[in-house]
Amino acid sequence: MTKLSASEPIGNPGKPGPGETDSTRDPLTVVRRSLVRQVARDVLVRWGAQIGIVWVGLLVVLAVLAPVLANSHPLLMKSKDGELSSPWVKHLSTADCTLLVTAVAFVIIVLTRWRASTKVWLLLAVIVVTAITSSIFVKQRFTSPDTYRDRLKSGEIEWAARAPIPYSPDDRQLDDPTARLRSPAGRHWMGTTATGADLASNMIHACRIALSIGFISTGIAVVIGVVIGGMMGYYAGVVDLLGMRLVEIFSAIPTLLLLLCFVAVFTPNLYMMMAIIGLTSWEGYAVFTRAEFLSLRQRDFVQSAIASGVPLRSVLFRHMLPNGITPVLISASFGVASAILAESTLSFLGIGLGVDEASWGKLLADARSSGGTFYWWLAVFPGVAIFLTVFAYNLIGEALRDALDPKVLKN
Amino acid sequence: MLTYLIRRILLLIPTLLGITILVFGVMAAAPGGIGGPLLNERGGQVGGANQQRIREYYEKRYGLNKPYAIQYLRWLNNISPVGFRVNEDGSLGRIAVKWPDLGESITQRRPVSDLLKDALPVTLILNLVSIPLVYVIGIVSGIIAARNRGNAADVGIGTSQLALWSIPTIWSGVLLIGFLANREYVNWFPTGGLTSVGSLDASFLPSHVDGRWQAGFLVDRVWHLILPVVCLSYGGFAFLSKLMRGSILDNLGADYVRTARAKGLNENVILYRHVFRNSLLSLITVAAAILPSLLGGSIVVETIFGLPGMGKLSVDAVSLRDRELVLGLTFVGGLIGLTSMVLRDVLYAMADPRVTYD
Repeated sequence: MTKLSASEPIGNPGKPGPGETDSTRDPLTVVRRSLVRQVARDVLVRWGAQIGIVWVGLLVVLAVLAPVLANSHPLLMKSKDGELSSPWVKHLSTADCTLLVTAVAFVIIVLTRWRASTKVWLLLAVIVVTAITSSIFVKQRFTSPDTYRDRLKSGEIEWAARAPIPYSPDDRQLDDPTARLRSPAGRHWMGTTATGADLASNMIHACRIALSIGFISTGIAVVIGVVIGGMMGYYAGVVDLLGMRLVEIFSAIPTLLLLLCFVAVFTPNLYMMMAIIGLTSWEGYAVFTRAEFLSLRQRDFVQSAIASGVPLRSVLFRHMLPNGITPVLISASFGVASAILAESTLSFLGIGLGVDEASWGKLLADARSSGGTFYWWLAVFPGVAIFLTVFAYNLIGEALRDALDPKVLKN
Repeated sequence: MLTYLIRRILLLIPTLLGITILVFGVMAAAPGGIGGPLLNERGGQVGGANQQRIREYYEKRYGLNKPYAIQYLRWLNNISPVGFRVNEDGSLGRIAVKWPDLGESITQRRPVSDLLKDALPVTLILNLVSIPLVYVIGIVSGIIAARNRGNAADVGIGTSQLALWSIPTIWSGVLLIGFLANREYVNWFPTGGLTSVGSLDASFLPSHVDGRWQAGFLVDRVWHLILPVVCLSYGGFAFLSKLMRGSILDNLGADYVRTARAKGLNENVILYRHVFRNSLLSLITVAAAILPSLLGGSIVVETIFGLPGMGKLSVDAVSLRDRELVLGLTFVGGLIGLTSMVLRDVLYAMADPRVTYD
């Protein structure tokens, strides 16, 4: 029953998408392919999607390798008494460890030839286990980054192999009073911030926030939207009426104003921020799901599922959802872009994340001093990063829509 | 239609209530509760017995010592046109028809309605200039893209507009001010505000006074508005242009176009007399969504350019946790948003005879 409902209304799976040039295939044989494969195939041939995926992939690499690429703690150093040590390993945070282990596990798991579902479960297990163990065992140590520079100068450290950008994002270079707001030159590829920290290092570490905010808050929004919208569409009547009021409440106030209220009041950390952005942006997904479910509930396969006594949860999420998820998926990709935009806007307005979190929006906010001086490097680099990331997700969303939207296929 | 309209307007009431309950609940859930910063800041400066006295004064004045439900109902009573009169000492009088009262801003100590009256025109000017721009550019470029479907022009317009749409306002605003309104680069525009010093005393139109040319109020105002309007509108017209293109293409595939072509009508007549008018229908549906989003966009633009409008007011109100002001702002914002939704549905039914709500 599940198989049938998942494949039937999606239509002829062998139909080639626009732009697909597969001349070797016999047009008469219908190739059965899973929806995920088919969509991936249709999306990946588009150059917009390719550019977007390359950029997001680059961000992922930068986010994972951030502690290796930009770190005040030397990767390897030899002290005067001949002792070799790697201070950066000792100063890894919980998030660093989890990301690094997950990335290694991901590469290994992808190279294996297990089933796709096994791979996903295994990866999830690795993430959970490393997150828990590292949060128990990893202790946050603090060594002032200035000490390395002092000790190198005084000869206490014989030599040190440093990261390409030898500054941590929170290294405010207190040993160098002239370090603040320097334009790009020398060791500071992108200049320094108002607090004297290295901009390039901050930019790299901020990739994490951009990526995680985008995915997780959109995930939260999609789950809320699909559940509420599914209920509205399935039950219709009074539930629909009430749900529609809820949707109207959230769509009538400008999202940014609502976000401001939530964020200013709760002074959020990163996780709160994700939850808040998710909580304020679900209404679009609810509307889409409702419309799909309203038409799906009349269909034979749903009626027969209900008649054969399938539990409600199963009717809603195993039979109806796979057939009605397409518009949600398309808008979720644009949703990731707007979640990133929301976070950077809030940080720009000064009511976003705390001082310790590196965020592109916050860096951008320092570009104009109150005296009217304009620090162009603080405007250009973070701005380009936000723009390219938002653009990348929008390109992916566009490609996804072209691949999935039956209307576009008709044209 | 009338029944539908009445039903929609009645359904606005629970939604508006929901908006205010949501915002009130969020403010009440804050650490320190409603008015926490107020009590701490204003009282904290004095200390001792005076602090206690000030605290009591504020608690009584804004009813902060009452349960949240009572505080909310009191606010609701104040804004409703029919309700209990509130006496001087805070007790409730008789039920009467009265003028809605949005209360007094805690931090600015002025009636919220006064603050809104000052701020609303600024935001309205920004939006009234932006919306026609957004629509004209969006529609024209949408038509161009649709006519050249599949060509380089279409792909170029499509991609560049997706890029435009992706440029964050916070970035474009900072760049525009930084490069075009800065002594170090080009100093063509003012860095912010709505008027230059002295332009309020100048005549409205450019004039020749005392042997010198004076720009006058109008030119000065336009000069101040150029950058904010650019920031506010580019995202909107990129969005509208995509929509227009899609809807023209949809209509070009419709049966009536085939009939028109079969009759031998000129392609331009088909496009502008038949397809164009039908394609405008889909723009009506987004008109309602554009209004709240422009209001949201003006939050960023007004903050960057220092314009004293609704957006700036809400950022200030929210960051100081000024309950009355935030409630008033969200109430008015929600009212505008909801009204535009109803308006959209009515307009849609009026423009498209196939749509009925009975």
